[in-house]
Amino acid sequence: MNNVLSSNLENEQEVLLEIRNLTRIYKMGDVRVPALNNVSFNINHGEFAAIMGKSGSGKSTLLHQLGLLDIPTSGEININGKDILKLSESDKARFRLERFGYVFQEYALLPELTALENVFLPAMARGRKKKDYILKATEALEQVGLGVRLDHRPKEMSGGEQQRVAIARALINDPDILFADEPTANLDSSSSKQILELFHKLNLEMGLTILMVTHEPEDKKYVSRVIWLKDGEIAQVNI
Amino acid sequence: MFTDLKLSLFLAYKSIIKGNRGTLILTIFIMSLIFVNLVFTASIFLGLGNTVNNQVINTLYGNIAIEPKKDEKYISDVKTLEQKINSVPGVAGISAQYVISAAISFKDKSGAWAIRSINPDDEMTVTTIHKFMVDGEYLSGLDTDEIILGKEIPGGYGGDLEHLSLGGVIIGDSIDVLFNNGVKRSYRVKGVYDVNFQQSNNIAYISKKEMESVLGLKDKASLLLIKTVDTGNEDQYINKFLELGIKEDIKPWTVYAAMVKNITRSFDMIALLIAVIGLFVASVTIFIIIYVNTISKRRHIGILRAIGLKEKIIIHSYIFQALFYAISGTIIGLFMMFFILKPWFIENPLKFPVGYVSLLIVPEKVMINTISLIAAALAAGFIPSWMAVRETILDAIWGD
Repeated sequence: MNNVLSSNLENEQEVLLEIRNLTRIYKMGDVRVPALNNVSFNINHGEFAAIMGKSGSGKSTLLHQLGLLDIPTSGEININGKDILKLSESDKARFRLERFGYVFQEYALLPELTALENVFLPAMARGRKKKDYILKATEALEQVGLGVRLDHRPKEMSGGEQQRVAIARALINDPDILFADEPTANLDSSSSKQILELFHKLNLEMGLTILMVTHEPEDKKYVSRVIWLKDGEIAQVNI
Repeated sequence: MFTDLKLSLFLAYKSIIKGNRGTLILTIFIMSLIFVNLVFTASIFLGLGNTVNNQVINTLYGNIAIEPKKDEKYISDVKTLEQKINSVPGVAGISAQYVISAAISFKDKSGAWAIRSINPDDEMTVTTIHKFMVDGEYLSGLDTDEIILGKEIPGGYGGDLEHLSLGGVIIGDSIDVLFNNGVKRSYRVKGVYDVNFQQSNNIAYISKKEMESVLGLKDKASLLLIKTVDTGNEDQYINKFLELGIKEDIKPWTVYAAMVKNITRSFDMIALLIAVIGLFVASVTIFIIIYVNTISKRRHIGILRAIGLKEKIIIHSYIFQALFYAISGTIIGLFMMFFILKPWFIENPLKFPVGYVSLLIVPEKVMINTISLIAAALAAGFIPSWMAVRETILDAIWGD
C-alpha cells in the first residue's frame, strides 16, 4: 500500500509537520513487533486532524513519535525543514516545552497543585515572569471555562474539568501544535462534547493546530481530516 | 539555571506542603532522632574524655608538672623556682610535693600506696581534693601527725578496690606508715576524700613539713604542680618557663593522661562507628521515603518530562525534599540537644568510675554531623529520583 497519501488541502496550506517513512518496531525478546510501518503524511498549520483506527492500529504510537515522547526506529519528522528526531534529549525536552502541547487521556495533572499552578507550570519552566505566567494561566483557564476554579485542586474537580485544566496547561506556552491522546476516553458524553467543542473553538478562533487520537466515530464531525490507521500503516485519509 | 532551581523548589515545596502530613512529621522526627543519636554519642564520649582530663588536671597533676632533672631525685631550690613560675602571667597556683611510696598498715591489714606531701594552702590553689572530703577534714599546714586518705585506702567507703584496702579505718584511727627510706611513723587519720577518680583516690596526703622531717630534706620537691588560668595553652606556658631558664623536666598534663588517650581513641572509634551506622540509617530512611514517593509519583514524573520539564528539575525537586527532611530534623535535633538533653545531663550527670560525666557538645562535631546528615540526605534524595528519570517517558506514564 502506498503510505504517502496527501490531500489537496495539504498542498494548499503551509505544512507544519512533515512526517516521512516513520517506523516504530518494538522488540519483545527476540520478536520484532512493528507498530508503525513507513508512515508518511503532513500536518498543516491550523489543521484539526484526527488519527483513528482500531485498537492496536498504532494510533497512540504514532502520536507518541510525533510528540517526541518516544524514539522511532526510523524515519523523519521535519519542522521547517529540520528533522526534530535528530535533536538531543535536552533539546527535545525544550522543544516539547516550547513548541508542543499535550492532552492525555487521564488528565495528567499534579494532584498537589491547584488548577492555576498546574497550568502555569510549563510557563514557569520557560522562565517567564511570575506576574506574566499567572496572568496567562488565568486567561487560559478562563478560556476553557474554569475562571472560577483557579484555586481548586484536581481532586476537587470533575473529570471534564480536569481535562479542561490539562488543555489550558497545553495552551499556556502558545504551542505550534496540540497533541491529544484520546482526550475524551474517560469522560461522559456531556463532558466529551464540551472538550471536543473546546478543541473545535480553539482551532477555529485561535487557528491552533490539533492532532487528536480518537476511537469515537462521532468525533469526526469536529475535525477537518481523519487519518485512518490499520496495522501501523495509513489506510485512508478522509477530508 | 535560576528558573530551574526556582521550579524545583516550587515542586518540592508543594509536595511537602500538600503531601501526607503524617509521613512528613514521622520523617522529620526520625531525622531529628538520628541527628540526636549522632551528636549525643559523640558528646557523651567527649564528656567522658573531658571528665578524665579534668580529673588528671584537678586531682593529680595540675595543668603543668615539673619533675626533677634527669638523674636527679628531687627538684632543688624550690622557692626560687616557684618565684620564677609565679612571675609568668596566667599562673594561678603552684604546689610543691614530695611523692613517695610507702607501706601503710592498720591492725592486720596492710598495703602499698603513694604518699604525697603538700602545703595545704598551696595545694588548694592547684587541686580540688579539699572540696571532696567525704569524712573528717582536710589537712592544715601545721599538721605533722595526721594524714588524709583517698577513698580506696581506708576501706568501708565504697572503693572500687575494697579488697585491697585497710579493711575499715575510721576518722581518728591511728595507722602505721613505713616509708621506702625505712622510716616508720604513725598518723591519725584526719579525713577521707573521694574525687570519683580511682587513680586519685589511691593516694594519701601528709603535710610537707612532716615529709621533710621524714626525708631529712628542705626546700626540695619531687613534683611541682602548676595550675594555669586556661587549659589548652600549656605549651605556651612551658615555653615561657623555658625562657626563664628552668632546666627541670616540664610536662603538660597531657603526658600524664597518655593512658587516657587510648581510651579516648577507642571512644572516638565507637562514636565514629555509631555515626556511620546512624548516617546509613538516615540515608536508607530518606532513600525509602523518596523512593516510595517517586514510585507513587512515577506517572507524574513521566508527565512532567512529557510536557518538557528537564530531568534535573525533577531530580532537584526530590533532593530539595530530602534536604528539607534533613535540615528540619537537624534543627529539631539541635533544639533537643541544647534545650532538653544538655540541661538534663547537667542536672543529672552520669556516674562513671572516672567521675561524673555530662554531655560535652563541641560545635565542630555538631557541624560535622550536620554536614554528614545533609550529605547523606543529598545522596539519598538523588539516587531514587535519578533512577525515576532514567525510565522512558512512556514507561513512566503508562508502564506497569
